[in-house]
Amino acid sequence: MNKIYTSLILIFALVVLWTIYLTSIKEDEKIATRYYTIKELSLENQSISSVKVGGLVKPNSINISESNRLEVWFYVYQGEDSLQVYYNGTRPDLFKDDAEVVVAGKFDNNLIMATELQTKCASRYEGDLKNTNTI
Amino acid sequence: MISQIGSLALNIASGLILSTFFFLFYYRFTKNKIFIDLSERAIIATCLSIILSTICLLNELLISNFNLQYVAQYTSYETPMFFKVTSLWAGQAGSLLFWSFIMSIYSLIYILSTLKRIKELKYPSYLILAFIFGFFLVLSNFIANPFEPVSLDIIVQNGNGLNPLLQNVTMAIHPPILYLGFVGTSIIFVMTLSALIANQINHKWISSIRLWALIIWTFLSAGIILGGYWAYNELGWGGYWAWDPVENSSLMPWLMLTAFIHSSIIQEKRGMLKTWNVLLASSTYLFVILGTFITRSGIISSVHSFTAESLGPLFFTFLLLLILLTGFWFFKRYRLLQSRDKIESFTSREGGFLYNNLILLIMCFIILWGTLFPIISEAWDGNKIHIGANYFNQLNVPIGIVLLFLMGIGPLLSWKNTSSSTFISNFSIPMILSFISGLFYMIFTDEFKIYPFITSMGIVFTLTSIIGELQKSFKSSYNNNSSLSKAILQLLSKNRHKNGGYIVHIGITLLFVGFVGRAFEVEKEFVLSPGEEIYFANHIFKLNNVTSEARDNHYAFISDMDVVDENNKYLTTLYPEKRIYFYWNPDPDKRQPHSELDIYSTMSKDIYSIFSSYDAQKNEAYFKIMINPLVNWVWIGGIVIVFGALFAFWPSSRRNYGTV
Repeated sequence: MNKIYTSLILIFALVVLWTIYLTSIKEDEKIATRYYTIKELSLENQSISSVKVGGLVKPNSINISESNRLEVWFYVYQGEDSLQVYYNGTRPDLFKDDAEVVVAGKFDNNLIMATELQTKCASRYEGDLKNTNTI
Repeated sequence: MISQIGSLALNIASGLILSTFFFLFYYRFTKNKIFIDLSERAIIATCLSIILSTICLLNELLISNFNLQYVAQYTSYETPMFFKVTSLWAGQAGSLLFWSFIMSIYSLIYILSTLKRIKELKYPSYLILAFIFGFFLVLSNFIANPFEPVSLDIIVQNGNGLNPLLQNVTMAIHPPILYLGFVGTSIIFVMTLSALIANQINHKWISSIRLWALIIWTFLSAGIILGGYWAYNELGWGGYWAWDPVENSSLMPWLMLTAFIHSSIIQEKRGMLKTWNVLLASSTYLFVILGTFITRSGIISSVHSFTAESLGPLFFTFLLLLILLTGFWFFKRYRLLQSRDKIESFTSREGGFLYNNLILLIMCFIILWGTLFPIISEAWDGNKIHIGANYFNQLNVPIGIVLLFLMGIGPLLSWKNTSSSTFISNFSIPMILSFISGLFYMIFTDEFKIYPFITSMGIVFTLTSIIGELQKSFKSSYNNNSSLSKAILQLLSKNRHKNGGYIVHIGITLLFVGFVGRAFEVEKEFVLSPGEEIYFANHIFKLNNVTSEARDNHYAFISDMDVVDENNKYLTTLYPEKRIYFYWNPDPDKRQPHSELDIYSTMSKDIYSIFSSYDAQKNEAYFKIMINPLVNWVWIGGIVIVFGALFAFWPSSRRNYGTV
């Protein structure tokens, strides 16, 4: 095979191997965070420095601090399981009861101290017709 | 009545596709050309039926026919007329019909223009078009039908209305432009696979597909940049790219198509790289379908994915069939695609194009691996691992910088081989200016960061190189013409592909100027009462007042905040708002808060303000302020890219620039 093609294929192969190696180091929190289900986390006794959890905001669980309105406590749930989340920061506009959220942060003592709080992107928000005005 | 016509048109379109298969089947065994003509008419009729169906849905959206579930879900009486039109692609069912609508328009152009000239591609093209149309019509007729009536036990007085965040002009333009890019890749796929089947990967094919690729690339680029612009100006997180799986899904086909546009030049000039071009051209569409699978399956958690009916298994099967089909014909024609000519030198223009392809391919792999990693890791050991933005930045930033330098190196290389004397004379000025810019960076920047340092050198190197090449072209046309205006006109009308390409590269270099700014972004969240001020990042932010106002479709809390720089010079007054849409609704769940940003934008930096929250009792307002340097260069770069691409493919004469 032509020398140029061989060198290019070799470079590509090396980058592929490096990429795979990088993602295989799961201890590197800056690169990889494990997704947990709420049930899995509820069973955890140890603190975990980096978790990512998706679920729905439990209705009537949103508690905004009186002294700092950026601080919020709420429960995120999946089916029967739920976990408390603490977040200090600007909340997304679509954050409300039953909103689909993804939180990321530290898990300790049955509480997720979130550093990230995301709701479903507005461009994919699908209104539920059950909530429409009906007679 | 109109909705029934729309629904019927969709059914007829499915019937027409079935008849196309019949006609093609008969042609295969009888070789009677009348069946080819019949299948052509059937596909044209399919396209027209889909267009009619889309017009019917649009009509129902405009007249607020809430008997249709889709209309009730995405519009209301209050939705402005313009956004009733845009709600056509706001939800799953509408967006799928809109996809078929664009595909119909492209197919009509392809059939009535390209296939009139490359008649050999007719039979396989109709077959593949029928296959693709068939798939989307199954979805629109049986899985996500936009003409589905609301359930009999519900009488809808008023619809849900369109999400306020989508009631934005950018968001109205971004999806259709992106769709024009996404759906357009299907024509590239049809053309490639049919040329493979008919064994027509020749000069006629490459010149025609290249023009299609340029047009579609322009839409794809404009769509991606508009998406970033909307996110930055509306969503309130201060960024324009988050490496989300769905964002990545739009970038991968763009990278493949960019690689194809470059490597196709080698095939056009020297008849080489046919196998490679076939792979790149067909993989562009495969990546689009992969992205659609990710968006509509929910297999990878993304804030952008659709939440309703999962179309995942169907898209996965479709993707698998397309891969098998392409793979089969690729291996069958592999030997016939080989070229005897070879690339001899590392320092040749052809070599430059290959390095460009390598870099784009590496970026695509990194993004693909990071995007699919949650599935891969879960299959490997049961743990679903999310790959964050750090992974993408850590790998793509240095590779992107190499690409930046390559954009400057490429034009300086000669075809076949670059002699050492040419090398020295071409490279010396860009190299010297690049080093000088590096020195300036070190002298004038407070905080030394390695990537911005190298990038700024790369920006100067590439701009110098490209402007130098444009200057050479200008000089030669000026020497041939006595007047300056004639020389400029000649420069503009001749070598459009090449000069348009250079303009695109200048645009991409300007994007890098914007990317450098990201390394210096700072942000702060704070609370202020009227009259109070805070010092942050060499600026003083003073809250004057917070007022409130009931408007047509929302209630707004408006803040009034002066910004003063470190020399006590007044810069601007920012008015970020906290709005409550549907505030009149007694059900608090139906009220929709929305932060309307205010951005003070200059060429050097943006001051980005978000009104996070307001405590009316204490009269305390919460803000998030970000200082984002150089962001405007991203949008300027985007405009230059689109202008350059339009310039490159805008035909001045059919003979010179090929035809679609």
